[in-house]
Amino acid sequence: MLQTIALGDAQFHSLIRAIAALRQTTMSDRCQTRAIHSTETGVQTRSSVASSTQTELQDHVTTQFLQDPHNMLHLPGLNDFLRQIEAPVIRELVRNAKSHAFDGFQVNWEEHNQMVVCLHQLQHPRALEQDLHVTSVSWSCTGAVIACAYGRMAEGDWSNDKSYICTWNIDHGGLNPKQADLVIDVPTPVTALCCHPKHPALMTGGLYSGEVIIWDTSQSTDPVVAQTGMSADSHREPVCQVTWVPLQNKGDFGVLSACSGGRILLWTVSAEQGKCVLKVAFALVQQQVLSKSTSFKGQGTSPVGVTSLDLSPWDPDTFLVGSEGGLLLRCSLSSQTPAAVPSECLSVPLRAPAVFSFRPGSGPVHSIHCSPFHRNLFLSAGTDGLAHLHSLLQTNPLRSIRVSDTYVFKVQWSPTRPLLFAAATGQGEVQIFDLSRRSLRPAATIDPGGVGHAATCLAFNCQNPGLLAVGKTDGTVGVWKLSTDLTEQIPTESHLLEQIANQVAE
Amino acid sequence: MAEVEETLQRIEAHGSVAGTIVANADGIPIRSTFDSSKAGKYADVLRHLTAMARSTVRDVDPQDDLIVLRISTKNQEIMVAPENSYLLILVQRFERYARA
Repeated sequence: MLQTIALGDAQFHSLIRAIAALRQTTMSDRCQTRAIHSTETGVQTRSSVASSTQTELQDHVTTQFLQDPHNMLHLPGLNDFLRQIEAPVIRELVRNAKSHAFDGFQVNWEEHNQMVVCLHQLQHPRALEQDLHVTSVSWSCTGAVIACAYGRMAEGDWSNDKSYICTWNIDHGGLNPKQADLVIDVPTPVTALCCHPKHPALMTGGLYSGEVIIWDTSQSTDPVVAQTGMSADSHREPVCQVTWVPLQNKGDFGVLSACSGGRILLWTVSAEQGKCVLKVAFALVQQQVLSKSTSFKGQGTSPVGVTSLDLSPWDPDTFLVGSEGGLLLRCSLSSQTPAAVPSECLSVPLRAPAVFSFRPGSGPVHSIHCSPFHRNLFLSAGTDGLAHLHSLLQTNPLRSIRVSDTYVFKVQWSPTRPLLFAAATGQGEVQIFDLSRRSLRPAATIDPGGVGHAATCLAFNCQNPGLLAVGKTDGTVGVWKLSTDLTEQIPTESHLLEQIANQVAE
Repeated sequence: MAEVEETLQRIEAHGSVAGTIVANADGIPIRSTFDSSKAGKYADVLRHLTAMARSTVRDVDPQDDLIVLRISTKNQEIMVAPENSYLLILVQRFERYARA
């Protein structure tokens, strides 16, 4: 039924009039922000503390398991879930068992390179002019910077010219092989160098004069952070090796230095005073290190010159020492036996560190390195051209591998392959040996060229496992990229290493 | 509970099954033949992966759904069958020397 309904009034406001009204009252205004003041400040944390927590799933899980027998009944839907899922899962299992898909397929996650390639040849022009040799190379803890120490062994003895420490940053694109990123002037030849294992800018070096200096490469004004100075505490002979030692306080590191005067000193760094404070001192004296089987003429309190040193990564108390006479000793940092030599004017008493002596070699031991994969194995190499593989538990070497006909200056285990090691020889080549192979020939030979120049030092880059730095007596440092079979572990490698370590030496 | 056990045993009876884990949606194992820490690890890691796999399948085709996710690794085969509130994880190991 149609009906008429009267609604109230409806009003329509005229839009046109409103717009016209607007147009009459227009205002314009401008505004402008005042000049913005800005200041810049840099903030840098001076010390940082890292700490992490993690909740253990253990308790949660065990309580769940504990309630199991009763709870399982009450868990809603568990039964249905399993019933439903059973059939498809069994089907999959059967299919899996019969499937031949991917048989013999080996996945290649990383690209393989077959060749060992020389990436860079780094030189420092001033060092070249002075005919300096590269005495030591060390990678920083981040693996991006290589530090090289120069010095010269002239006719068997060190010369006293001033020398340098140069660092190059391999990672950033603007690498100039002829110009170092940072050059530190040093008054005497540097005989040993070691980068800090945690702090990328710190490094310590030992000098020909017997001093041990710690540099901080991030300080551009004066990189020297601390030095031992020529005090009564410091070495009198050239320092053959320096290494960072983790101290009792977590995170603190000290420096262990050894010199050819038979002294091994442990320093703590006091950055405020700029000095290294002697903490523990060891002296190696002939009569305290010889075992009954060897006899030397002129025994007594004459010092045993140390030519190489290595700290065991497995046991922070143990370190290995090689001497000029071919002696190989295992020493302990906490040894309390007093040394047979009077500790004249030293601030701490001298102690004898030797705990065990291995069968001596026939010439100075130039290099020792403990295996990063097995706590009992270490390599030693010296002037007899052989690399000896020793176990910490036995006096005789497990294996002796002929590396070269001349001296071997440095030997180092690969950080990624338990059975691989590299040796720098006097002929200038770096031989890389693979203990998993039956053959006695090296797995690879790196020959940087330059006849007549010995390769004096080498260092594997632990962060970037394919890189190997080699320093030579012609003053060049070569950075080489190793092929994949030298960096990737083969499947049974750890097992083979165990077998080798458990052999009994003949 | 007996039924749950029976079902699981039927599944495990297929030779080459190295272990099973039944976990809830939070990644906490309810019942497992592995030890608790390992089971916890498997369950936690796999529930995220399964959720992602499921959403991938549904993204590609909304009508579709994930039944079983199978991961072939160098040493073993891991199968995960998810559902809304539970997860069944199976680990298979074959005697074949080089299986993928």
